Amino acid sequence: MRIASILDANTHVANDPLIKVASNFHAPRVAEMASRLHAAASEVTSNTVSASVFTAPALNLATPVARPKSQEGAKVAVAGRFWLWVSSQWLAWLLAVASIGAVILIWHLATRYKLDFYVRFNNIPGPAEVWGKVLEVNRSPKFITNIGISVRRILLGFFVATALGVGLGLLIGRYRWVRLSSMPALEVFRPIPAIAWVPMSIMLWPSNEVSIVFITFLGAFFPILLNTIHGVEAVDPVLLRAARSLGARERTLLFEVIMPAALPHIFTGLAVGMGVAWVSLIAAEMISGQFGIGYFTWEAYSLISYSEIALGMITIGILGLLCSGVIRCTARLAMPWIERSPGGAQP
Amino acid sequence: MNAHSSHEENTAVRGHVEMRDIGMQFKVKGSTVDAVAGVSIDVKPGEFVSLIGPSGCGKSTLLNVAAGFVKPSAGDALLDGIRIERPGADRGVVFQQYSLFPWMTVRKNVEFGLKIQGVSASERETKARTLLGLAGLLHFENHYPEQLSGGMKQRVGIVRALSVSPQVLLMDEPFGALDSQTRVVMQEILTNMWQRLRISVLFITHDIDEAIFLSDRIYVMTARPGRIKSEIVVPLPRPRTAAMTSTPEFTNLVHTIKGLIREESLAAMGGELHEGGLVGLSTEVGPRGMGELV
Repeated sequence: MRIASILDANTHVANDPLIKVASNFHAPRVAEMASRLHAAASEVTSNTVSASVFTAPALNLATPVARPKSQEGAKVAVAGRFWLWVSSQWLAWLLAVASIGAVILIWHLATRYKLDFYVRFNNIPGPAEVWGKVLEVNRSPKFITNIGISVRRILLGFFVATALGVGLGLLIGRYRWVRLSSMPALEVFRPIPAIAWVPMSIMLWPSNEVSIVFITFLGAFFPILLNTIHGVEAVDPVLLRAARSLGARERTLLFEVIMPAALPHIFTGLAVGMGVAWVSLIAAEMISGQFGIGYFTWEAYSLISYSEIALGMITIGILGLLCSGVIRCTARLAMPWIERSPGGAQP
Repeated sequence: MNAHSSHEENTAVRGHVEMRDIGMQFKVKGSTVDAVAGVSIDVKPGEFVSLIGPSGCGKSTLLNVAAGFVKPSAGDALLDGIRIERPGADRGVVFQQYSLFPWMTVRKNVEFGLKIQGVSASERETKARTLLGLAGLLHFENHYPEQLSGGMKQRVGIVRALSVSPQVLLMDEPFGALDSQTRVVMQEILTNMWQRLRISVLFITHDIDEAIFLSDRIYVMTARPGRIKSEIVVPLPRPRTAAMTSTPEFTNLVHTIKGLIREESLAAMGGELHEGGLVGLSTEVGPRGMGELV
């Protein structure tokens, strides 16, 4: 199901007129809506993809090091582990800087020499121009306000999606009758991409703001729901038997066994959901918004302000990166039993 | 929880497991298969009883009935005269698979059942630490299960099952996944703990030496459908020591039980036992079953 949501995101990007990819496998209705989409979405899509490979153990790039066997040794070991971590990470950091540096360098060269080989860099602003724009937009509060509004929409939509997705997912995964009665209805809505909801959402909700939050919610909801259901189904039955033989009743089973056991899957859902939420938000802002970073980027296109387009895209990328980073950190803190990060919290 | 669970000190007057004419049928592709038929066993208060038999004879099914995980198709399972309807803290269960909660530290795992019973945090901690100390695991109380070896995990599993002061301990091949050295050590630890606690134990195994070393009595089961083939009293004195495993008494018992199980394994494979070797052993049967049991 994770893959399905990424495919959703990709198909929208495929409809982007700017990258001129013809796509004929869409209903005309969806195609029309999606045709207003932008290259910016691809930035967010790449976040979605990276989020999909998120599994808790894979989070940790550092090589596993010996854990202290007793608490007395813990302090020394933490310091030692920190140095081990640093020494094992410096190459990773170097490569990270080099890879981002290479992108900026190629970008600079391509725009400097106005490269034109099917892909045209004639009108594309260079890194220096965009940097100039960064300084310019920060002289007025408009830009940062746009960012603030987008972040607020993401947080609202994402938190509602988390509450409903995890709550409903636990019930659907645990109780057959909840599943049988609610899944058919949910399955009808699931294949409809959040972006296809834009016109309906505008009619449905009293204000533009609420309708954008609703679309963001929709984007995040299904990945969270489906991963939670999957997590509940994947709980080892022997854990449930063990808990029941220790006297646990249904409530305890649900909240103290099933939920923590499903937590790794739930966090996968959150990471994927956050990626799709950004895709949906940016699309909604471009189509119906008045504020927000998606609107900022689309407005820049309308006003033929090329460096603002690039700035908008980069900002969306950074925001998406920060959001998935926050989820990863939360995952580590919430699941200290899974390959704890060196120097991280000791229970 | 049943009414028994608040019983504190095990004075070995409770914990009497009786199973009467237990039958268990499964539906496989429309036809019913008898897994267990007409089994009657009992574990007297404070007694250590093993169930041993060839693979697939329904040993684990009987344990699951006693634990309350499944309902028998026929017969009654009783604990101290009260019918077993569902799982409860009056019967501690130790599983073959590791069953510790991976998100809890060792101590939190042990405290889980106590927390359900509403025991206060400080009391829980004291009790958990006492039990962990008994099992030699106090140093690991703040470790996560993932950081422990297989033998340690099973020790925590036993300690966790004992934490709620059950009337009886049900153990389903608890050392089956361990290497043979660890297994022997675990058997000694278990027999020592049992010596102190004097709790009733129903122990499932396919390891003959293990059954003799630990038990007061051994039930040998037939191949499917599982029935009780014979009941053997182990006359070895208590406390048991590793040295006893090389006494003639011990080896004679091993020999007797081996013979009983061998007949069953062969019967299960469709062969007959003749003097001097195997005759008429069905060719479809691979060597795996033999190696495991004989």
